[in-house]
Amino acid sequence: MKTGRKIKKIEKLNLVPILDSVFIFIFFLLMSAQFVDVYEIGSSLPMTQEIEDKKDKDPLNLTLEVSKDQVVVKTGIKNLRSRSFASTQSPELTNYLRELKASNPKENTMIVKADPKISFQSLITFIDNTQGDRLKKEKIFEQIVFDNSGVGK
Amino acid sequence: MKKRFSKKRNHEPIDVDITSLLDILTILLVFLLMSYNASDLTLDLTSKLDMADSNAQELTKFAPVLQVNKEAVVFLNNKPIGRLPASGSMPELTAALKNQRAQTEQTNKKIRTPHKLELINLVIDKSMDYSVVQRVMHDSALAGYSQFKFIVKGNY
Repeated sequence: MKTGRKIKKIEKLNLVPILDSVFIFIFFLLMSAQFVDVYEIGSSLPMTQEIEDKKDKDPLNLTLEVSKDQVVVKTGIKNLRSRSFASTQSPELTNYLRELKASNPKENTMIVKADPKISFQSLITFIDNTQGDRLKKEKIFEQIVFDNSGVGK
Repeated sequence: MKKRFSKKRNHEPIDVDITSLLDILTILLVFLLMSYNASDLTLDLTSKLDMADSNAQELTKFAPVLQVNKEAVVFLNNKPIGRLPASGSMPELTAALKNQRAQTEQTNKKIRTPHKLELINLVIDKSMDYSVVQRVMHDSALAGYSQFKFIVKGNY
């Protein structure tokens, strides 16, 4: 007597549609691929604005004077304070800026007065040092204003 | 006599094993996804220009691109404007930027999401002095560009 055993055939998956979509996706990604990571650092020209004279608190007016060897951090208008950092003391500078930010959380602007003789790369490295840990998305003084007074005369 | 080549062949569909192809495609897909950049700015660097390295992570935005290479030659949207003088301003640059701004104004009338008129991307060789950057910013400001974006190379 014959037994009625049926051999089940394993059906193959139809991969053609997924392959089609993957190919289209690859072309799209190839077109938009950028093999050099390019980013931007924003800055703006100084703007003037009339504000009410608040006698109770001295504005921060954070100004950083950058030269080849050192960075001088100046704060305040009425009570002018200044502190110098050697160009090798970038962690100390970052920590000092963090302290300033903690005591002035609403302030977001720093004025940069750079020595015309420093290289563009040095300036960018200095800006990087003032911006905190970017991998942790830390933001200290985001708004950078360049003091270019005297240029074009 | 039997013909030698008269055998009927069975035309069964051939099963091609595409597993290895799929493996390659998956690897390629992951690699391309990693190098995908959502920025709307297309940057064509001119010759003799090394971009500055930075830890910045902000994506670039569409705006006119002003490049200054090692030889102090200025390019606006890849068109050479001239060599930056040793000192003072460059009237040709201001004129070209004013022209560019007028063009952007015209384009903005036709498109739904207008481009920012005061925004300019600056790509400057990393060995150039800050005085060059200052003068380029000054000339750009004279043409009405007051927001500068320094385009840098990510190095983390």
